[in-house]
Amino acid sequence: MDSEVVFKQEFEINGGDFVNAGESASKLKNILKEIGIDTDIIRRLAIAAYEAEVNVVTYARHGIMRILIYPEKILLTVEDEGQGIKDIDLAMQPGYSTATDEIREMGFGAGLGLPNMKKNADIFNISSTVDKGTKLEITMNLNDKNVRD
Amino acid sequence: MSETKLLHSVRVNKDKCIGCGKCMRACPTKAMRVRPQKASINYERCIDCGECLRVCPNDAIEPITTSSADINKFKYKVAIPSPVIHSQFGPQIMPNGILSALKEIGFDYVYDEALICEMQNMVIEEYLDKNKSPRPIISSTCPVVARLIQRLFPSLCNLILPIEPPFEIAAKILKKEISEKQNIPKEEIGIIEITPCAAKMVSISHPETLEKSHLDGAISIKDVYNKVMIILKKEEQSLMLQGQSPISGIGIGRAIAGGEIRGLKYHQSVSVSGVYDTIKILEGVESGKLHDIEYLECLICPDGCIGGPLTVENRFIAKSNILKLTRIYGNKKRVDSNRVKRLYKEDFFSFESGVKPKPFKPLDKDRILAIKKMNLKREIFEKLPKRDCGICGAPDCITFAEDVVQGKAKLEDCIFMKK
Ligand SMILES: Nc1ncnc2c1ncn2[C@@H]1O[C@H](COP(=O)(O)OP(=O)(O)OP(=O)(O)O)[C@@H](O)[C@H]1O
Ligand code: SF4
Ligand SMILES: [Mg+2]
Repeated sequence: MDSEVVFKQEFEINGGDFVNAGESASKLKNILKEIGIDTDIIRRLAIAAYEAEVNVVTYARHGIMRILIYPEKILLTVEDEGQGIKDIDLAMQPGYSTATDEIREMGFGAGLGLPNMKKNADIFNISSTVDKGTKLEITMNLNDKNVRD
Repeated sequence: MSETKLLHSVRVNKDKCIGCGKCMRACPTKAMRVRPQKASINYERCIDCGECLRVCPNDAIEPITTSSADINKFKYKVAIPSPVIHSQFGPQIMPNGILSALKEIGFDYVYDEALICEMQNMVIEEYLDKNKSPRPIISSTCPVVARLIQRLFPSLCNLILPIEPPFEIAAKILKKEISEKQNIPKEEIGIIEITPCAAKMVSISHPETLEKSHLDGAISIKDVYNKVMIILKKEEQSLMLQGQSPISGIGIGRAIAGGEIRGLKYHQSVSVSGVYDTIKILEGVESGKLHDIEYLECLICPDGCIGGPLTVENRFIAKSNILKLTRIYGNKKRVDSNRVKRLYKEDFFSFESGVKPKPFKPLDKDRILAIKKMNLKREIFEKLPKRDCGICGAPDCITFAEDVVQGKAKLEDCIFMKK
């Protein structure tokens, strides 16, 4: 049973736009800081969001990053229209990458993005349809303590 | 001096302030408001970067430095000039001339910080060689960078190099050596930095990584400039004859951005200067995308400490003067590496404690209330003209919306919202 969403925001991500890759993750991070989310949760979520954003820019045409905050958790979803992933288990292997040489030259393509997201998330879900797109769901649990001292 | 004044390095002189709002627009942490009519600083958000001081056309933002009365309380007065001093008096004047002129204006002893800068460079290299901690390691030299990280990038605190900056190391060594050699009690020795840095006083009164600073005060290069210049003019001939002091180009080079990484031959390192570029690169580090960089030198002032707000010389000329000196003095090491090893063992370099995160306060202590305020802030922002005109006394519309939510301003303070 889900409780109500207390905060919601969407960010658009454009495939191929390496110039602005990372902007959405950065805006997201600033929102979480203002709300007073725990530093370590912000750090982990920001890393996951950044990796997810770069993957959309690299492998998809267009995507939406959505942040939903509930009293007890943060849900980050990243949904894209693009080539999709044929073998998710393989894509999740550290070091697996289909990045082209050009992309590697830009410093991406180590094959560590997805494993990194999984490592930093409390709950990580991924589903994908070839030639349609990919959907990621990253959940961070918030502690019961709502008030910071 | 009241507690808040001691805690921070600048204050507004309300008599001189005309309320133009230039400082408010320049402030990277949105700590300034011009409300009502005069500038005021929210010290909770101030990181002592000195941007306001730099842009004020009326000298209404005043740096706080040590008074001569406070310096004169010490029996034995020691000046440690920042290497920036060597860039301030033109390309003809050599370091030794400046050091003796400083002595003449009322110090018992003058010690060139450039020597310790070179030493600290060796320590950085040693640390990078031996430590496999997460990268990039971020330089600890600029006190404002440390504050910026504490406030805006708290998760990066553990990346800061746990080695004290040159001025602290210099003061610690001098206090010990002078008191031992000359048999003067430590309390009677006053170690004063001659500084380009607006943040120095805060890092002395509230050091983040030491129980107590080893320095006893700081005065600005501006403060000593005229006095030194007069002596230099008068005694040019005799001062010229004093020859080279035992410093190297490595130490002097620390006055400009890039000076710290120049010696790091075997480590992938990057140098950044200026407050906005520093914020940008730290955002990159926080995203986790810059771990290929091993060492990151960040200096808040443009082009490094020669761009510090308490300097006199134009920073481009100052930079050229420093580059000239680094060529003359060369890269030959002047510091004895055995001495460095000994000091390392005696713990002259390390932080006493790490830099602790001090994030800005959220919109509310209660997370649910903070989110409500966040939503309200956006609702208000949507109504505003988004011109960032500043007439309301806040630097931009989004900050004004926050002030309204926090009860610090009324919606009608925006001239576009008046009926
Ligand atoms: N949104 C996506 N759409 C299509 N394919 C994807 C998507 N995200 C990942 N992939 C596929 O999964 C592979 C592994 O992704 P991962 O993010 O782990 O590594 P990478 O992007 O190749 O390199 P790195 O993230 O380390 O720069 C990618 O090479 C790509 O083939
Ligand atoms: S760059 Fe140098 S002068 Fe400027 S704030 Fe940092 S330490 Fe001070
Ligand atoms: Mg990736």
